[in-house]
Amino acid sequence: MIVKIENNDMSKALESKCALVDFSATWCGPCRMLHPVLEELSEELAGQVEFYNADADENGELAAQYGIASIPALLLFQNGQLVNQTVGFQPKAALKAFLGL
Amino acid sequence: MERYDIAIIGTGPAGVSAAITATVRNKRVLLLGSARMSDKVGKAHQVDNYPGLPHISGADFAARLKAHLDEMGIAITEKRVGAVYAMGDYYALQLDEDMVEASTVILATGVVSAKSLPGEERFLGRGVSYCATCDARLYRGKTVAVLGSAADAAEEAEFLAQVVEKVLYFPVGKAPEPKEGANLVIVRELPEAVLGEKAVTGLKTREGEHRVDGVFILRDAVQADRLVPGLRMDENHVAVDLMMRTNLPGCFACGDIAGKPYQYVKAAGQGNVAALSAVSYLAETAKAKEE
Repeated sequence: MIVKIENNDMSKALESKCALVDFSATWCGPCRMLHPVLEELSEELAGQVEFYNADADENGELAAQYGIASIPALLLFQNGQLVNQTVGFQPKAALKAFLGL
Repeated sequence: MERYDIAIIGTGPAGVSAAITATVRNKRVLLLGSARMSDKVGKAHQVDNYPGLPHISGADFAARLKAHLDEMGIAITEKRVGAVYAMGDYYALQLDEDMVEASTVILATGVVSAKSLPGEERFLGRGVSYCATCDARLYRGKTVAVLGSAADAAEEAEFLAQVVEKVLYFPVGKAPEPKEGANLVIVRELPEAVLGEKAVTGLKTREGEHRVDGVFILRDAVQADRLVPGLRMDENHVAVDLMMRTNLPGCFACGDIAGKPYQYVKAAGQGNVAALSAVSYLAETAKAKEE
């Protein structure tokens, strides 16, 4: 399951032990392709990693705060700390490696 | 959506050989590339070591490849492949505006000498972008440089100009140029480096420097790992094993892109191996699904 971030409110993700936040947008092709892969991974890693999606358009303040300049952008948070980030579509195996799993 | 068994990208000897073998094996093949065949082949002066075709000219060799495809009823789809996404149990290929699906992909694109610009890798995602449609809106109210060598770079630049504050367009090579407008300016200077600290702040050219917030690099010849995100490279070639398998299950590579020597006879041989490997992969995955 992927939780939608709304109104620039990312507090849930920051409270989580391990959260992946996907900044994306509806008009972006690679974002649309990445979504089902993340969806699948979120089921597989339920209980280990929480998955969030932030529409960069609707959450402009957040996007600006994290300096998002290319999407899809994936930000990995552990206990509220940004520990890793990457941009672009990636297959499942590469995403797992990014998550350190 | 219909799903091909094997999508083959490239119409040089590797791609053509793969398409022939895959068709002989009754697979549903999508062959993508130029119907004029590989430019590199067409321009070759003479080929002396292709068995059975002594001293053939490049142009004649290209014609023979095309004739072989025609004789087998294999069509060439002339669309630009924008990206190949590994979705898990299939691949999604972005062709111009369309998406198609294939169970396996054979990369036979040849080598590209798209050297990256100093600063390009460093600022990827922090001001450097390869996708105007993805990222244009993140640059509202800002000034961006577009380095255009792709066939559709002009169109993309015009789209950007509708969204951002100002576009500086640097033509690279022979691609068509965009129409200049109130906020789209063509700058005839040679880009040399992307400048910045935390994020992009400018573009250095041979002639000077320009302050910009983003640099969109729109090339036709993209490196294989940009075309297929997640693909493992070995320097500027795709890393393959002897069966032409890449690190992505169901994705194979052959010909020049799979490494030296850059020889047509080696390319054709590898195309054959790649197609047979794809056929085996299809049989294995079909069997796994049944079980």
